[in-house]
Amino acid sequence: MGSLRAFGVSLCGDKERADDLVQETLFKAWNHLDSFKEGTNLKAWLFTILRNTYFSERRKRRREVEDADGSYAARLATHPAQHGHMEMQDFRAALVQLPDDQREALILVGAAGFSYEEAAEISGCAVGTIKSRVNRARNRLAAMLGLEDEDGVPSGLSKSA
Amino acid sequence: MNRDTSKKDRREKMTGASKKMDRAVEKRAVGKSGETQGAAADAGLTPNLQAHIGRHVRAVFDEVAREPIPEHLLRLLSDLERSGDK
Repeated sequence: MGSLRAFGVSLCGDKERADDLVQETLFKAWNHLDSFKEGTNLKAWLFTILRNTYFSERRKRRREVEDADGSYAARLATHPAQHGHMEMQDFRAALVQLPDDQREALILVGAAGFSYEEAAEISGCAVGTIKSRVNRARNRLAAMLGLEDEDGVPSGLSKSA
Repeated sequence: MNRDTSKKDRREKMTGASKKMDRAVEKRAVGKSGETQGAAADAGLTPNLQAHIGRHVRAVFDEVAREPIPEHLLRLLSDLERSGDK
């Protein structure tokens, strides 16, 4: 459940809202357990429900109030008590600036432990799309953070920044 | 059709899932930090850089994933589980 919640936070950038999302996800999962196919990946199924819940709510709210650009970044940037060193702070800030689809793909594959195939299913897109999103996310992070490898070779992808 | 059994089924499925998920986080936490999990050959990024980014993405994610689950969510989960007992 911790990782489901962390995924929620990575989507909406807000822990309280993420908790609401988890709550709704649990309810929905409970009520629709019949539609879950035995033997398939329950964790992926729960992530899918949470994701769909988030996006359908966001669509609804968008129609009411146009979410100002960068409000997500602002919310995350003010996350209280983010201990940890500067490097982590910078990284977190960069992660927030990624396009939503790239961040989502990177989190699913790189942190939540899903395969590309599972991530594609959760995000409702092709496996190739997930792969390219993950690649673009990594490249963009490297460019934003000015990361170079040990030989001092620049990541050389500033054109994508 | 036995309602009780199907509810019990649900409860077991849900409980199993949440346990499995927690275990997955733990397992990964003790795993080698240098692994480049799920890393395909990225054009332009060295394995070092990929691993570096991977570690940070996981660190940001795990920071939240390892936080204690809020009370009300735990209560909800146990309520759902208990509703299968009735």
